[in-house]
Amino acid sequence: MGILTVLWEKWTEFKRDFYKITLASMISPIMYLIIFGMGIKVTSNGEPYLNFLIPGIVSMATMSGSFGAVAQNMSVQRLYEKALDQVMISPTPLWQFIVGQILGGSLRGLYAAGVILLLTSPIRTGLIYNGWTFLILLLNGLVFSTIALTFSFFAKSYNDAPKFNAYIIVPMSFLCNTFFALENMPAGFRQFISFLPLSQTCSMVRAIAAGGVPTVFGFGVLLAYLLVFSVISFLFIYKKKNL
Amino acid sequence: MIEIKNLTKKFDDFTAVDHLNLTIETGEFFGLLGSNGAGKTTTISMLSTILLPTEGEICIDGVPLSRKASTQKRKISVVTQEFSMRADMTVEQVMAYQGMLYFMPRKERLAKTEELLEFAGLSRFRKRTVRFLSGGMKRKLMICRSLMIEPEILLLDEPTAGMDALARRQMWNLLRKLNNRNLTILLTTHFIDEAQSLCDRVALMNDGVLDVVDTPQNLIDQLGNYAVDETADENLKSTYFKDRSEAIRYLEAAGSGAALRNATLEDVFVSRMAKRPDERKQG
Repeated sequence: MGILTVLWEKWTEFKRDFYKITLASMISPIMYLIIFGMGIKVTSNGEPYLNFLIPGIVSMATMSGSFGAVAQNMSVQRLYEKALDQVMISPTPLWQFIVGQILGGSLRGLYAAGVILLLTSPIRTGLIYNGWTFLILLLNGLVFSTIALTFSFFAKSYNDAPKFNAYIIVPMSFLCNTFFALENMPAGFRQFISFLPLSQTCSMVRAIAAGGVPTVFGFGVLLAYLLVFSVISFLFIYKKKNL
Repeated sequence: MIEIKNLTKKFDDFTAVDHLNLTIETGEFFGLLGSNGAGKTTTISMLSTILLPTEGEICIDGVPLSRKASTQKRKISVVTQEFSMRADMTVEQVMAYQGMLYFMPRKERLAKTEELLEFAGLSRFRKRTVRFLSGGMKRKLMICRSLMIEPEILLLDEPTAGMDALARRQMWNLLRKLNNRNLTILLTTHFIDEAQSLCDRVALMNDGVLDVVDTPQNLIDQLGNYAVDETADENLKSTYFKDRSEAIRYLEAAGSGAALRNATLEDVFVSRMAKRPDERKQG
């Protein structure tokens, strides 16, 4: 029931800001597609670069959509509006609140990915998307919603929210297998980047798009992040003395 | 019944609440008074589990209160000192959200929203976004929200702050009605007349420490029911007397600038807060 309450709250926010949310989820990916996919016309391993780029952009949209929805919302609720107090005081079990936030954030990420897929659908790329693609994107959204929730709990001021974006989302957007393959990175750094969640999401979505299958390792990495950050979030909301 | 046992809250080296012990009976209207920084809001925040105590515990009807204690939390409703609402929600969405957080069925939620918004004069603003409400309207909405769930215990942290005199009186009447329905109310306020008018008992806090707990009338009796105000060196000085004839004698000796009046809870507050901690212990 508590999960549905949070999803209802997210839904009212989505309905109210529908155009803003939709536009915001489109602008950066479209820019990347135009600049890297259409402006600088290159090929990658004999294939149009767009075929490499689109799965990366779609994965990235899930990440930034989910992260942005939760980090922004929670920072405002906890530090500025103090609306989190209303939830803390209520009998709604706090784990349900956390799960609702994570699910809601992930659905927003999935929506952002859906917008990009729709926009790129007229381009004849031959890329394949199936149930696995959406499952991976949903999982990626869950991971980044949980990370956003954790970081917003640790934020000391409302101004910290944009910093998370600068420290987490921007570097991952460019480094994690989105615009170029991990193989092109120096050893050591490559291994480190490959353990980041967006790298695995991009790899798996790209593999499926090319007719392949996702890897167990990829799922394992995403699930590990989900587990670790969920535990931190739960501990925070139940144990933190000064919320 | 609320039992506060040895409740302590520290923020690093600063002790905001220091070994507070209080019992508030079911149906009691209890006032928590103190100067700024006395620890009132910290106490309310611990009662609403926003803050967890460093030491001690709070029991509601004998059961310890924690963030996991849904049954206990269901009994409590809080009006926080700061506006704590989603600023981008409409008035009716705020009410709906509150109802959902307390698992109210939709039909009951809608009926209660209607009743409370009507009562508070907010019905015609139901579609208005919270951001665009005036301070007084936001305060009324927070009170409507807290009453949405028919709590057994109502915690009010400065509920009339920012309200005009008429709205404050309306609020007092409402709180009296609620208290008559056996609702336990814990009120913190800067308006001492509010506490004197409403509360069965009051506690005075200073620097996180409980100073005294008693009925407003007993506290006034201890101080003296009669006050003589006189101005000395541009400062107002009040002297208190238990006996009216003694006060009149003092008034006559003080000269033309002095005035006799009945002492109030505010006099108790001011005189106790002005004393050093060791003097307060002596009474």
